[in-house]
Amino acid sequence: MLHVFTLLLAALLTCPLIAEAQKPIKVGMPMPLSGPPALFGDPATKGAQMFVDEINAKGGVLGRKLELLTRDSKADANEAVRVARELILKENVDFLVGTLTSAEGPAVSVVAKENKIVFIAPIPKTDQLTAADKLHPYVFRVAATTTMEGRSAAEIVAKWPVTNVATMSFDYAYGQDVTRAFVDHLKKIKPSVQIVDQQWPKLGEQDYNPFINAQMAKKPEAIFSSIWGGFFVTYSKQAKALGMFDTIKYNFIGVGEAATPETTKSMGADYPVGIWGNSYDAFYWGETPAHRDYTTRLSKYLKDEYPSSWAIQGYIGMQFLAEAIKKAGSADSDKVAKALLGLTVETPVGPLTIREKDHQANRGQLYGKTVKDAKYPFAIMKPVTYVDPSRFMD
Amino acid sequence: MPDPSFVFAQSLSGLTAAMFLFLIASGLSLIFGVLRVLNFAHGTFYMLGAYVAYQAMLWLGPGPGMFWIAALGAALTIALLGGLVERLLFRHLYGKEELYQLLFTYALGLILSDVAKIFWGTQQKSVSRPPGLTGSFSFLGATIPQYNLFVILLGPAIALAFWFVLQRTRVGRFIRAAALDRETLGALGTNVDALYTGVFMLASFLGGLGGALVSPMRATVPGMDTEVIVEAFVVVVIGGLGSLWGTFLGALIYGQVLSFGILFFPRFSIFAVFALMAAVLIIRPWGLLGRPLR
Repeated sequence: MLHVFTLLLAALLTCPLIAEAQKPIKVGMPMPLSGPPALFGDPATKGAQMFVDEINAKGGVLGRKLELLTRDSKADANEAVRVARELILKENVDFLVGTLTSAEGPAVSVVAKENKIVFIAPIPKTDQLTAADKLHPYVFRVAATTTMEGRSAAEIVAKWPVTNVATMSFDYAYGQDVTRAFVDHLKKIKPSVQIVDQQWPKLGEQDYNPFINAQMAKKPEAIFSSIWGGFFVTYSKQAKALGMFDTIKYNFIGVGEAATPETTKSMGADYPVGIWGNSYDAFYWGETPAHRDYTTRLSKYLKDEYPSSWAIQGYIGMQFLAEAIKKAGSADSDKVAKALLGLTVETPVGPLTIREKDHQANRGQLYGKTVKDAKYPFAIMKPVTYVDPSRFMD
Repeated sequence: MPDPSFVFAQSLSGLTAAMFLFLIASGLSLIFGVLRVLNFAHGTFYMLGAYVAYQAMLWLGPGPGMFWIAALGAALTIALLGGLVERLLFRHLYGKEELYQLLFTYALGLILSDVAKIFWGTQQKSVSRPPGLTGSFSFLGATIPQYNLFVILLGPAIALAFWFVLQRTRVGRFIRAAALDRETLGALGTNVDALYTGVFMLASFLGGLGGALVSPMRATVPGMDTEVIVEAFVVVVIGGLGSLWGTFLGALIYGQVLSFGILFFPRFSIFAVFALMAAVLIIRPWGLLGRPLR
């Protein structure tokens, strides 16, 4: 009799455990889905969803399905914090993967710290997110940083036959940080180069003419710009009309993803072909079989012949999370946080590693000079090179 | 002392910006002057003008003259939309408290911009400059894009046409009378409702035209409506709400202050514009060329 009772008790106790094992692992994703930044936020959530669908089709992680809950953060730090809290308190998400702007990332990082929940940032670049004083056990980043991006651009500009450079960036965290990284690194590796002018339009400026005129009056031989996304379209159209690119002989580098296929596609013949730019991804890169395979799947998933270059950031963010859960053998945030330290994952852009010391992945970007290519109705980077930032992350 | 060719180039870029602002702000000012409603949704009409022009260009293709057809078509479409909005919605706002009007027009702007997102998504759209105006020429050492010159000439032309209609035609007399005393005008047998609809359509036409004409110079993206409405408000506040030449003057000042502001306060030129607005509000609350409200 006692035995039967013990058995019953054991069955009762293990039942919730079994139920627990079959419950999906919930991942909350705050991401801008409205306003101009939705241009990147929207495809990033789709990349994450593609990863989730694919892994669930193969049985999920540790026998549990992944479930992605996306929320519009409106590219606003307060709103991102609000939806992150809602995801944690109401939806009981196990992890957070998301945010886009350099204001949202650090704000959500604080929420993750309070709630002891792993947070992987796939897009925000500000150095502050993983700076020594802000770092905590639960925050990780698989995006590039302003330091890595600015220095990568400096490495390229240092090879140009120019004696001076001017800069054009928005007057806020990202613009200032990436420009400082660029200028400092360029001075270090090529001390002979002069910085002749720096313009700081406000974030979201619509009329660049006065800034371009003022800059051209200083007669720069080359220009570094971090005017990003849709803003680059406006800036480069106005610069082209003023003959700026011809005057500087296309010695121009645009970081902040000025050479993404999305941008060159939307501008068509108006794109200043011949400039240098960067991008997180490009469907035409196809360096490795893994990347070609990813692009084919993404193209099908998005039903787009030229799929977005931003989907990959959501995809890689989820990939790191899934691999860490597998390595930890648990969906417990403390164990997953430990598993993420030093974790190397085979991503579509090659192996990436999250460093133990600052929780930062060595995520580089694609750089190249834009050219017209008969295969596509828009400009592409050719040759396109993946710049691995491992050498200059510190 | 800056180089004279640079000063010239800078004043021209200020002038280009000013003429765009005038196109948009004049509609805002007209609606306020006659209908006594501050139309926050005016910026959204401007954005829709840009989107419709983009859509029309997709349908028409890049041939010569197509851009002008697209721009005019976009402005007319927005005028029709404005007419509908006035007939169906604005009608109920006249004479209500300003707070209701502001909340209503703000909400309308938000709804219309979400509708735009349903149609055109969030990706940036881009329209090329019309063939024939793609080049630029040098004058006094400055590079002047032909398209900018066209905009600089268009602004005063529209201001003069406006002035002529308001001051020298029968319709203009009715519009001015409606601005002064709607009820007496109605009692004298004028169809004031139709007049209001007409004025609203004209203002929407200008907003839509502004958006269509700006599309070759800027990216068409969600959010461009809220940016422009703030600028247009600053312009009409400086110049005087309801005053045509005040709006023109306000736009000119705005453009030049912004252009030359970056020489003196490189990172705070926008501050100079707002400081100017604050000063005008303190010294002449009704604007430089406006009249005190009764």
